[in-house]
Amino acid sequence: MENNKNIKNKVESTLLAMDTMEHVNVSPFFKDKTMQLLFAEKEAQTSVRGWFTPKLQLATLVCVVVLNVVAFTQINTSESLSYDENINQFAETYRLSTSSETSFLN
Amino acid sequence: MEEQDFIDDLKAGKQFAYAKLLNEFQQKVFATCISFVPNKEDAEDIAQDVFVEVFNSINKFKGNSKLSTWIYRIATNKCLGFIRKRNTKKRFAFLQSIMGNEIPMDKTKYFTEMNHPGVLLENKEKSETLFLAINQLPDAQRVVFTLSKVDGMNNQEICEITEKSLSSVEALMFRAKKNLQISLEDFYKNDMK
Repeated sequence: MENNKNIKNKVESTLLAMDTMEHVNVSPFFKDKTMQLLFAEKEAQTSVRGWFTPKLQLATLVCVVVLNVVAFTQINTSESLSYDENINQFAETYRLSTSSETSFLN
Repeated sequence: MEEQDFIDDLKAGKQFAYAKLLNEFQQKVFATCISFVPNKEDAEDIAQDVFVEVFNSINKFKGNSKLSTWIYRIATNKCLGFIRKRNTKKRFAFLQSIMGNEIPMDKTKYFTEMNHPGVLLENKEKSETLFLAINQLPDAQRVVFTLSKVDGMNNQEICEITEKSLSSVEALMFRAKKNLQISLEDFYKNDMK
């Protein structure tokens, strides 16, 4: 009988425990952390894509194509020089040419 | 009208609107979370998840309810999801209930470490027991009881959040109190043995 009364008292005091619970404040940096979480990813995306608009992308592509065309034409014109001419020029530069060689014996 | 403008700003992803939202709701959402999950770190993580969910789903908000109600609904669902994930005991309890066994409350199987700064030291053990008993309640009863008794909301607010009528909220509250009393009595009976 006394046990039952004891249990009832305990149950009641346990149920009353929540009335004594104090108010808990959220951490002071909660807002900053959450804002960073919400906008960090978005900012990273926009910083890359933001300034590189489709117009700029097209202009860059045109520049690259023009540069390639110019480079190819330059290569073609330099190839127009004959092979022998190139060899002679190379030999003369490094004094490998027999015609220009001077002999001390002569 | 003002709220609609604010919602439009949120939908447009404006940073100042989210700063305002956090100023207004961070404490309330955190209070709801810590009333379900009595651990400050866990409650803050869930509260953060709530705001991320708001950010990602604001375009789905149709305006059928108040913005605050919608946010509290997200918070409640997030807390229940968190508890469900951590509460491995529930599966065991289900098996036990099929076999018709009584499940004694076991503090070692609690889903989180109790770390509620608002609980007074002399009431720590009682509060732990109470949260453990609340954890045994079915979801619907737990939500109504927690929002009312721990978070301190009125019945009208609870009706809006749970999308239930006033009479069913009152009925759930009555059953929750009765079940809590039964499980607490069982707990103290086992404790005395």
